[in-house]
Amino acid sequence: MTKTTGAPPAVSFAGAVKTYGEVRAVDGIDLRIARGETVALLGRNGAGKSTSIALLLGLVEADAGAVELFGASPEHSVRSGRVGAMLQEGRAVPRVTVRELVTFVAGRYPAPLPVARALELAGIAELAGRRVDRLSGGQTQRVRFAVALAGNPSLIVLDEPTAALDVEARHAFWDSMRAYARRGHTVLFSTHHLEEADAHADRILVIDRGRIVADGSGDLLKRSVGGNLVSFDLAGRGTRGLSLLPGVRSVEVRGDRARLRTDDSDATVVALAELGAVRGLEVAPASLDDAFLALTARIPEAV
Amino acid sequence: MLDYLRLEVRRTLRDVGFVIGGVAMPVMMYLLFTNLGENDGSWKAQAMVGMAAYGAVGSALNTGGGVAEDRATGWLRQLRVTPMTSRQVVVGRALTGSVTVLPAIVAVLAAGGLLNGVRLDVWQWALVAVLLWLGSIPFTLLGLGNGYRLTAQTTGVTNMVCNLGLAVVGGLWFPVTLFPGWLRSLSVYTPTNRFAELGTSVTGGHAPAPGAILVLPVWLLVFGSYAVLSYRRSAGTI
Repeated sequence: MTKTTGAPPAVSFAGAVKTYGEVRAVDGIDLRIARGETVALLGRNGAGKSTSIALLLGLVEADAGAVELFGASPEHSVRSGRVGAMLQEGRAVPRVTVRELVTFVAGRYPAPLPVARALELAGIAELAGRRVDRLSGGQTQRVRFAVALAGNPSLIVLDEPTAALDVEARHAFWDSMRAYARRGHTVLFSTHHLEEADAHADRILVIDRGRIVADGSGDLLKRSVGGNLVSFDLAGRGTRGLSLLPGVRSVEVRGDRARLRTDDSDATVVALAELGAVRGLEVAPASLDDAFLALTARIPEAV
Repeated sequence: MLDYLRLEVRRTLRDVGFVIGGVAMPVMMYLLFTNLGENDGSWKAQAMVGMAAYGAVGSALNTGGGVAEDRATGWLRQLRVTPMTSRQVVVGRALTGSVTVLPAIVAVLAAGGLLNGVRLDVWQWALVAVLLWLGSIPFTLLGLGNGYRLTAQTTGVTNMVCNLGLAVVGGLWFPVTLFPGWLRSLSVYTPTNRFAELGTSVTGGHAPAPGAILVLPVWLLVFGSYAVLSYRRSAGTI
């Protein structure tokens, strides 16, 4: 791998492995995240997202391979104040006000944001005097976001930041996150919501069974599993030969309907027309859901 | 670190359970135990030290309850992803314990001096307060050991059992002279008994027995090791 810039990347994993007993939670991850990127780590529950984040933050140590932030060990980068994080399942800190908490955390960093600015970015300026343990779930989540960005870190890591938020709170949260990313900071967030990854990240890393199985923009991921989905009613005919039609990459049958993933939907449709298999014919762009399911399929799809 | 200390002290003082259990209770029990029935002046002074010690032990142990709570809420984990070092966090917590024992000590001594007419020289008041303050360190360590090892709920229960057990057997509530002989001989080996003795030797106007000076450091070592072992065990899971 050649380096194109002098500055080390914000995040780099080289063959990182972390096992818990029999389970290889992170099973050889290589990745680089450049400064200023907004990256989503997308995966099912248990795919290895949280373990990857724990490795990245230096909360656990890799059994093999190396993890670096800004060219230094995660611990060193955390100590020098270049990292802020919103961890999963953090609950409200009892008996402290929002302002006290954010002021305290900001004070640990060498060049923090002004507290008022941090509260404003997180959208909780009006809650400053309230006690953290007396806020709603959505408000608490945004306090935790304010805690993560209070130190004005170069890299901010958000582990499933919108889990358990309602739609409105989710929108408000992503607005805040984008405002922070626009300041030139590197943002890495994990999620199992495909739409969130697609809507809010420049780049999506799909993780499955401890490995990165895809890496690119939402569009790229969709294209990588076949750009379009052509479906039609089988009306009793078999599926034999369908996978050999031009452009077709995979065939799936749901009920009486065949669903063909294809790189060239025009050619596929023409070929289907020649076969007379056009009842209820539909052409649709593959969704990110399809892409995700295809990338993380447990069993190779039957053809 | 000072900021952390300030934050944690503030959080502790906002804990209603702490203020009632750790400060108000020892004062009320002191006033109750010394104003029911016939009491002489020396018991009022002795009980004052005993109850101040009891309050200090409770407050010191409470620090561990705070640690267990902070582990459960993820606050300690959150601190690990700030520039603070683990050492700063642990030392900050121990210092928090040493500050939050003061309200109990001051409140019970004030009740003794202002309401119960205990009369001591200024140097005696000062020395009693300082000795009770320093002597509470082993109990802060015991609390931290519990807090780093146990869940929030079991820490609460364990702290309470430690507090009540050590207070009663150590003679903080009732004078050990009322105990049967076997219990009295056990009592002198408890940290609480020796802790209170530091104070009563001052109010009594004599030097503490050599035993007190020996037994308490042994407990300091025991509880300190316990705290370190508990912390090490939990370090990976915070």
